Parts: sequence; C-alpha cells; structure tokens
Amino acid sequence: MTSVRRRLTVVVPAFGLLTFAVLLVAPTLGSTPISLRRVFDSSIAWDDNVDAQIFFVARLPRVLAGALVGSTLAAAGVVMQALLRNPLATPFTLGVSAAAALGAMAAIALHLDATFLGAAAIPAACFGGAMVGTTIVYFLATRVSGGLSTNVLLLAGVTLNTFFSALITFVQYLVDPADWYRTARWLLGNLDVSSYTPILASVPLIGIALLLFALLPRTLNLLTLGDDVASGRGVDVATAQRIAFLSASLATGAAISLAGPIGFIGIVVPHLVRLLVGSDHRIVLPAATLFGAAFLVSCDLIARTIMSPIELPVGIVTAMIGGPFFLWLLVRKA
Amino acid sequence: MNGCPLSAIGLRRCLTVAVFVAIYGLWTGHSIQAQKPRVITLIPALTEMLFAIGAGDQVIAVSSYDEDPPQVRALPKVGALIDPDVERIIALRPTLVLLYGSQTDLMTQLSRASIPYYAYRHGGLGTVSVTIRELGVRTGHSREAESLASDIDRRLAALRQRTAALKKPRTLLVFGRERGSLRNIYASGGRGFLHDMLEAAGGVNVFAAVQAESVQASTEMILAQKPDVIIELRSTEIPAENQRAAELSSWKVLGSVPAVRSNRIHLLSGRWLVVPGPRVADGAEAFARVLHR
Amino acid sequence: MLRADNVSFTYGQGPGIRPATLSGISLEIRRGQVVGILGPNGSGKTTLLRMLCGMRRPDHGSVTLEGTSLDRLSRRALARRIAVVPQETQLAFEYTVLEMVLMGRHPHLGLFQLEGPNDFDVARDALAATGTAQLEHRRFSTLSGGEKQRVVIAAALAQAADIMLLDEPTASLDLGYQLEVAALVTSLNQERSVTIVISTHDLNLAASTCHELVMLRQGRVIAAGPTTEVLTPANVRELYDVDADVHVHEPSGHLVVVPVTRVTRPR
Repeated sequence: MTSVRRRLTVVVPAFGLLTFAVLLVAPTLGSTPISLRRVFDSSIAWDDNVDAQIFFVARLPRVLAGALVGSTLAAAGVVMQALLRNPLATPFTLGVSAAAALGAMAAIALHLDATFLGAAAIPAACFGGAMVGTTIVYFLATRVSGGLSTNVLLLAGVTLNTFFSALITFVQYLVDPADWYRTARWLLGNLDVSSYTPILASVPLIGIALLLFALLPRTLNLLTLGDDVASGRGVDVATAQRIAFLSASLATGAAISLAGPIGFIGIVVPHLVRLLVGSDHRIVLPAATLFGAAFLVSCDLIARTIMSPIELPVGIVTAMIGGPFFLWLLVRKA
Repeated sequence: MNGCPLSAIGLRRCLTVAVFVAIYGLWTGHSIQAQKPRVITLIPALTEMLFAIGAGDQVIAVSSYDEDPPQVRALPKVGALIDPDVERIIALRPTLVLLYGSQTDLMTQLSRASIPYYAYRHGGLGTVSVTIRELGVRTGHSREAESLASDIDRRLAALRQRTAALKKPRTLLVFGRERGSLRNIYASGGRGFLHDMLEAAGGVNVFAAVQAESVQASTEMILAQKPDVIIELRSTEIPAENQRAAELSSWKVLGSVPAVRSNRIHLLSGRWLVVPGPRVADGAEAFARVLHR
Repeated sequence: MLRADNVSFTYGQGPGIRPATLSGISLEIRRGQVVGILGPNGSGKTTLLRMLCGMRRPDHGSVTLEGTSLDRLSRRALARRIAVVPQETQLAFEYTVLEMVLMGRHPHLGLFQLEGPNDFDVARDALAATGTAQLEHRRFSTLSGGEKQRVVIAAALAQAADIMLLDEPTASLDLGYQLEVAALVTSLNQERSVTIVISTHDLNLAASTCHELVMLRQGRVIAAGPTTEVLTPANVRELYDVDADVHVHEPSGHLVVVPVTRVTRPR
C-alpha cells in the first residue's frame, strides 16, 4: 500500500474516532451534574425530567452546533490558506465575516426581527450580508483578465473587511443602548442554540460547501506551488480558485449565521493538523474538518464549565488558546 | 409755612415706605440680576428625578438617550456616557452639569471652565433616594426632594413588610433576549437596583450569588436554576397585547422549569421599569403584583 | 515537434499603441534536441516559453505540437506532453521531496484517484535520474539551492512528458549548482531522450548544453540555428551590446563566450 493511501486510511479515521469520542462525551459534561440514567429514562414525563431537558435542549443542540461550526470554519481555513498561499489566512480574511456581521447589525438596528421574519431575521440577514460581501470581492477579483487574481482577491478582501468593520462601528454608534448591547453580544458568538431548527437550516448550506471542498484536495496541493506550476501540471487554475473561494465563503457565511463570528478556529486547527500530518491537503482537509469539530466543542465545554455558575463567551476561550499557540509557533520557527 | 403737605408724622411714614421700597427694589433687582439656574443632565434617571421634584424648568439640555418626560424631547441633546459633546455643554453656559462618576475627562474640562458638576455613581436601590435628596439641595428644591425620597423609602419599606410573610418565589429577572428564541438572554445578577427591586418585592433572584449586575443566562443555567417565576422586562420593541402570548411562547421549550409549567411568565413593559429613577417604587410594586398573585 | 508559426503577442488590453512583446516569431523544436532561447531581460523569453507550453495564447500565429494546435488540447493532455520547470519555487507550506515529485503525476490521475505503485515508481525513478533519491524524505525547504532545482526538475520529469521547458534554470544558483544542473540537462537529453527547451541569458550554459539556439531581442528572432553557427561575436554584439570572444574550448569540446567590453549601440 502506498504511503498516501496508508495515511488516508489510518490518520483520517483516527481523527474521526477522536471527534466521535468528544461529541459523545461533551453533552454528558457541564456545570450541572446530570444522571445519564435519568436522561434516557422514558418513564419519567418530559416536563418532570430536568436531566433530560438539560441534555436534549441545552447541551445536545449546543454540541451539534459546535461540531458543525468548528468543522466548517476549520475546513474553510484550510481552503483559504491554500487559495491565498498563505498560512496566516483565515476564513475571515477576505471580508466575508465582516459583511456577515454587518448584515446581522443591520437586522438588529432595523429591528427586522419584529417583522414576519422573527427569529430567522438575524441569521438570514447575516447570511445575506456574507453573500453580498462575497459577490463584491469576487467581482473585483475577476475583473483582471482571465482568471481570479489572488493578489487582487487579497487586496479586495482586506479592504472590504476594513470598510465593513468601520460600518459596523458606525451602526453601533447610531443605535440606542439596548440595541448596542445586542450587537456587542452577537459579535462574541454564541453556540447556545437551544433548538434544532437553526442547525437543520444550516446543514444544507454547509453540506454543499463541504461537498465542493471534497473536489479540491489534490488541486489545492498544486495551487500552493503557484499558478503557473499548477497550470503546467494540468490544473484549471481559474476554475479551481473560483470553486475554492466561493465554497469557502459559503461555508463561512453559513457558520457565522448559525453562531456568530467565532475566531481562531480557522487558523489554529489547520496549523495544528499540519504539524501532525504534513501539508498534503488530501489528509489535511478531512483531518482538519474532523478536528475542528472536536476543537470547538471542547472549547465550548471549557467556556461553559470553567467559571461555573456563569459562562464565558466561547470566542474568548478560542482566543486564549489561539493566541499563545501562535506565539509558540513563532518562537519555534525563529 | 402754609400748604406744605408733609407733616412730621407723614414724613416718617413716607420715609419708612421709601426705605421698604428701596430694600424691596434692591432685593428683587438683585434676584433679577442673579443667575437663573441652568442644568444640563447626561443621565436619564436624573432627568426624571429633576422633573419629579419640580426642578424641570431648570433643565436646558439632556443626553441623547433621554425620552422622559415628553418635554425633554424638544431640548438640545449633548451626547451621553461615551460621547459627551463637551463644546456644546460649555457653550450652553450651564450652572450645573449632572454627569457620570466615570467621566473624568469631562469633569476636568468643566473645572477649567469653572462650571460646577455633580458626579453620579450608579448603585443599588438605595442610591435613588440619596441622589434625589442631593439633587434637591443642588437645585433649591430640597423640600420637594425630601418629600419624594421619603415617599419612595416609605413605600419600599411597606412593600418589604407586606411581602415578608409571603412565600418568596425564585425568580429569573430577564432584561434582554433575542426575539422568538432563547438566545443571548441577559438576566439580573445579585447586584444593582433591579436585583434590589426584586428582593424588595419579595422575590428571590436565582442569580443572587453572582456578584455582577448582569448575567448571560444559557439554557442549561436556567434549567438548573428552576425559577418559579420569570419576569421579562421590555423597554423597547414592546409587543402589542395580541402578540404577547406569541412572544412568551419561546420559553415553552424549557418544559421542566416551574415557571413554564405553571405559566408564571410575565412580560412587564415600559422604560420606567429599567431606570433607577423616581418611579422605582412603582416598579417594585409592579414586580410584587406579579410575584404574589 | 513543437512549432511556433509567426507568433505575435502584446501584453495589456485596450486602446493605445504599445510595443509588442513578441512579433513574428517562428521556430521549430525537433525531437531529441536541446534548444536554448537566448536574450537579455525583457526580450520576451518568458513570454515565448509561456506560448510554447500553452499557458498563454498568441494574438496572432499559432503554436502546434506535432501538427495539433495547442489550444485544441485540454490542459491535462498538454501537461502529459509538455512539462515546465519554473525559475523559482517558493513554497508557502512544507512538502517532502517525494510529495513534490509525486505532484508531477497529477495530469495522469483522475479526480479522486490516489497515486498507485506505478506513480511511485515513476517518481522514484525521476529522483534517481536527477541524483536526488537520497533526499526523498527530506523537507523541500531544508534543501540547498541546487538540490531544490534538481527536485523541481525531477517533478517535471515525473510528468513523463516528451518535452521539458526550463525557465532560467540556473539564474539563482551558485556556480557549482549551475554546473550540476547543466550536466543534468545534458544527461536527461542523452540518456532519456527528453526534448528540452531552456530559456536563459547565460551564454555559456547555452553554449555547453544546447544543440540549437534561438536569439531573441526586443521580441524578435535575430538569429536561429545550430549553436556552432549562431553563437558568433557578431550575434553576441547584436544581442547584448557586448564585444565578446567566442572560441572552442578544447578539453570540453563546446564553445565558450568570454565577454570583453561593452559597446554602445547608436540610437
């Protein structure tokens, strides 16, 4: 068996096992002790079964949301880094997250949730914002003749990021205090969905994105060598870049709509995985997707137990892990 | 001399009158020349207090977030906690500025311009009557202030006494959440005037042990705390009567929570509920009404 | 085998007169030859190389591979016939030498197909041919300049193409590595019958390795033909504005060019 095949059949299932274990254990742990026996005891009436409600209403949706968001952002991070040939790229580099956040801010400021949209207003506006941002960056980058210029992509994305971030601050400045608090809370990210509906709503979008990702791995390897080299080896560089950019943006937009912008996953997980398995994207991409789920669910577990009885925003935990990790990476390389 | 109108007695009377007239004239003249009080307030709660003690006519400008009483909406706005419009404030030549204790830059600027200020420090329920009394002194309405403050104190004391013997329900006091879902719920912690109001009304705050004014309450936390009553406070986006049931149906998913099972979820709306101002006793009494049905 | 017929190309779009990057280029690369494209910077060498491997389409004229126009071949089909070695390889990520060379097998693999034993054999064979077999598990970034270039050539070799195009293969290398690469080019051509096109401004590299030369100046061919006929002091002066001495180096048997002085070209 060749080494690639061997690694694929050993490494990826190993990550899968780890993730499965984490997802299995996480809902059983929390700031409130619960009895698994009671949780699955169907003789107890639902309204009497606090343990079951904690498990099925509070924790399980939260773990599932964490798994979805974590895997999606990690995978999108891998794709972005390959596309931009830069290990410091994140799913948020090209402005998708700022555009998504602006959509959410607009929904809050305009009280769109008071319309018929109801609770779906903010996620819908958020996703809409992400798609608008993606479209703008895409058209700016494809105005260069022929393919997608990654240089223009980066410039356009970073510029749009800055511009949208400024608009977000502007919106926050204009709204009244109650809404200001809502915008500030939303920006911290929140996995406590307490319902399966938002999860089910984002599954189709994330599913499409992950399917598109699955087409890319070996192509991503070649793209990282350079457009000319990749083209010389038979890669349709323009199409590959388009698929990579659009699918990564779709994935990021869906993830942010579900739980708000949670940072650091899209950069820590790809790096950690590469440290463990090398840079072949055929292994990095599936491994990072799996590990991303385990990583975010674990961070959320820490966030909801470490300062019991209150909870930390999960974005703080990912930052506290991500920051020192990068310092360590830098020191190691130096 | 024949025909002189002033007799000796008349002269003395005239002189007395003249002296009185002179004194009176000097006195009113002095008052007219003296500065009429001009008060700028950056704190909505304090604005309400001023109007409640009869000093409303002294207010010349308010913060960007002031809305009560309605007459302030026509007044100039000079910013708020984060963005006070220093130039405008000074240009309006106030005789007193009511600002937040943390606005140290503004205080420095006002001192330089020799404008007196009153630094408000946000605190628990007790701060309300203290502040009312202090404002009374500063605006020359001590009598009204004393009357209002002691009325508030009296009512709160009476409330505490009334509810002392009653069963004290464990209460979740929510002041923010996303519409139509249970995300981003913010509830009162064990500090602050909302917590004090709840306790005065004979309720036990489920988050009394948390040493903070606000707590982000996750669904697990709420399920674990098992509140008997949930009070939701809304000061903006107040739903219409026929929408209230729909609004509150978001809580149904937490079926094991006693408040949900016994349908003791109450939506109280109005800005006056969330402002530590002259209507706190009204607020506490409103809490008591829903807690002790 | 690989022909360019009256190829012209200009960079940039839209109105305005600008100098053509390439005009009226015709050349032929015959099977089994090593052809050098010589010229100063800006003469259009890299652009011509891009035309020859199908990366860019000429504005006028055509490039054909054994009679078939390049733009009628799919990218993958082209990659199986023509391999390109770029001037420099900057990697953002760490790959091992073997991974780098295996990437050359891409045009032979289906979308989800993994490399099979045959691909590994081809890759290892390519490493052996370039004298880098012992570096198989090393990380690419830890290699010396010469080793890196040889690995990149091995990757191109793994493509199993008939023609290899090398863009300035020795430009950034030390003298020792330059000679290594030159020797490698010659051995690939002689022992494995690889047809090679090198674009370079190094006259002596061209002299020692190329059977034929194409001299480019300002987008035009000023001379083309067998090295011994084309590499003359007159042509060198025409190409580089340099007076040089060109003679046969007895021990090695090929021409050497010794630059003497600069001449100024009357404008």
